[in-house]
Amino acid sequence: MKRVLAVARKETYHILRDPRSLAVAVVMPIMMVLLFGYAINMDLANVPVGILDQDRSPASADFITRMTSGDFILEVARLGARDEVEPGFRRGLFRAVLVIPQGFGERLVSEPLSEIQILIDGADATTAAAVDNYLKAVVGMVNLDLMVRQGNARFRSQELRSRVLFNPELESSHFVVPGLVAVVLIMICALLTSIAITREKETGTMEQVLTTPLAPRQLVLGKVLPYLVIASVDAALVLAVGNLIFGVPMRGSWWLLAGYSLIYLLIALALGLLISAVTKTQRVAMMIALVTTLLPTLILSGFVFPLASMPLPLRMIGRIIPATYFLEVIRGIMLKGRMWFPVQGGVMLGMAVLLLGMAGRRFRTRLE
Amino acid sequence: MVRSVLYLVQKEFRQVFRDRTLLRVILIVPIVQIFVLGYAANTDLKNVRLSVLDQDSSRDSRSLADAYYASDVFIPGPRASSPAELQNLLLEGQTDVGLWIPRGYAATLLTSDAVAVSMTFNGQNSSAAGRSVGYASEIALQEVGRYLESAALAQPDLARRARRIESSSRFFYNPELRSQHYMVPGIVVLLITIISALLTGVAVVREREIGTLEQLMVSPLTPGQLIAGKTIPFALIAFFELTFATTVAVLWFRLPLEGSVLLLGVAAAIYLNVTLGVGLLASTVSSTQQQAMFTMWFFLVFGILMSGFFYPIENMPREVQWLTYLNPLRYMMSMVRGIFLRGSGVVDLAPDLARLAIIGVVTFAGAALRFQKRLG
Repeated sequence: MKRVLAVARKETYHILRDPRSLAVAVVMPIMMVLLFGYAINMDLANVPVGILDQDRSPASADFITRMTSGDFILEVARLGARDEVEPGFRRGLFRAVLVIPQGFGERLVSEPLSEIQILIDGADATTAAAVDNYLKAVVGMVNLDLMVRQGNARFRSQELRSRVLFNPELESSHFVVPGLVAVVLIMICALLTSIAITREKETGTMEQVLTTPLAPRQLVLGKVLPYLVIASVDAALVLAVGNLIFGVPMRGSWWLLAGYSLIYLLIALALGLLISAVTKTQRVAMMIALVTTLLPTLILSGFVFPLASMPLPLRMIGRIIPATYFLEVIRGIMLKGRMWFPVQGGVMLGMAVLLLGMAGRRFRTRLE
Repeated sequence: MVRSVLYLVQKEFRQVFRDRTLLRVILIVPIVQIFVLGYAANTDLKNVRLSVLDQDSSRDSRSLADAYYASDVFIPGPRASSPAELQNLLLEGQTDVGLWIPRGYAATLLTSDAVAVSMTFNGQNSSAAGRSVGYASEIALQEVGRYLESAALAQPDLARRARRIESSSRFFYNPELRSQHYMVPGIVVLLITIISALLTGVAVVREREIGTLEQLMVSPLTPGQLIAGKTIPFALIAFFELTFATTVAVLWFRLPLEGSVLLLGVAAAIYLNVTLGVGLLASTVSSTQQQAMFTMWFFLVFGILMSGFFYPIENMPREVQWLTYLNPLRYMMSMVRGIFLRGSGVVDLAPDLARLAIIGVVTFAGAALRFQKRLG
């Protein structure tokens, strides 16, 4: 234990000697959560839409007003002709065009059926489908109104009563901020420890460490401890920002979350150490730490893209990523108030032990 | 002049190739990532489990439930027999959406304003829930509308006067609405960004940290040559990855490459100017590799999340949208997607290309100036 603490003290000196890296490690996660918690909004609004009104009648003007009221779509352009549609799409001026053909107003009086067209830039499939759905629903509402106007007062447009559990206002930040905590922490922790051993190799102090009577396990633990303190401070600050500034609810227990976070941080730090133990230079170590944590955690963990809609092999890969489990835990505790995570907790604990053990082992083979 | 730069390039390449692990990170990781992430980055709303509590059990209530399952978004979840059971299914996460059709649903529709059906969503994933609410309401509206219409048309005088607007939708560029078509070009951009920025970011600091920068300084190389030698190899590596990733996108993911390959190359050249410049800048303001890496990490996470790759920029608050005009990834992301899917040409992309070029010149000039100062 004394030896572990001695290594920890030495590592602390290393950290304190470079206050800039330390500041970066503490300040950056907070900045990121502040910025992204504010900026990331997954609810579509103000989708730019162009209007091609070939009818130019009071009826068409009235219909256009109906269609563009509400803040889901935003009229940004009036087109004069059909051949302006595609250039507009290509330049990204608007995402959809509403076409009211000539004779729309007259048909609405004399014919049972009047047609309109919705042209949509399908490149961004998600937005395209949402815009299409929205516009169709508005047309449906206009139709119900038309029927009411035709005489039968009993027909009222129906409202669907819908209720959303856990996040009633569909507040994006409540979903994004806990996710950011998971993503940012694993990246910063892995980056921090990835150079803890390679630096000694590269600057040539490794031999000195090797001459001491330290066991690999003591060295690994001693190297992890100071970073665990930094990472815990990081986690606490980031969670406080989420709770106090973005109003992410805390429906479960802070202590429970702290416990799971500690396991998660250990995994992240151990991952960095393992990378550090198997690589020779800081450059490679950090490249590996970044490349293995950045995109996989952002894309495969369920941070944005739900695991459920991925093909099976990818869901299995997602299950190897530590952030996947921590995301379920942190969202479960904060948003749902769930208390009991036997599977996630077990897997995370297993990962932490496995990674720490591997780091120690890989390190020992280098001693010989 | 050119020769000495070539020697430097050669030296840098040797250093990269000598380090097998680094080589593997540069070559294999992107290959694996484009395949895996191309399938993972998927925002299609699919397999949303919908549980029905049907207290009406009539032909009309069944047709409402069937209307949901007929869409390709919803799949049947476990059935509930009481409101409490429905609530439980949702709380335990066994289902995503609960649809409650009370007794006398059809009659209510015809005679009163009362709410006829109610739905409950699991809102934990606000994006998915928001979109399922949209889909679900639309399906309900259509179904209710259809029902009311057929009821109205049963009355002959109403049928004569009935008016309705019919809308038809046409999707350009991606008629099957596969989100993969939008995401894969984005991943191509991410890959070349990460590799070029990271490699440049540590290149100079590394020499300083291990003490070989002095040797370069006493050589007759000018700072300009030194910068060229430190950036050209990484630009070449990035171009190699761009070529590879584009090939995979077209041949494996069957993406249409509507626009010109040449334009893609030109856009990439202008863009790499920026990422290499940022990398160089990071290495001039940092004294250790770790600092450089942290700086690049911040740039990357900021750039990726604010690029429109995950979240449309239009959704962001106005001030943040202005901020994204400084983000080089934003331009590259929309240009590459435009070239791939919409066949955007030089004229369409001119504004973005110009802005990107300005950012590139500014960062590169800034980096070069700082670099010169630190050397002197």
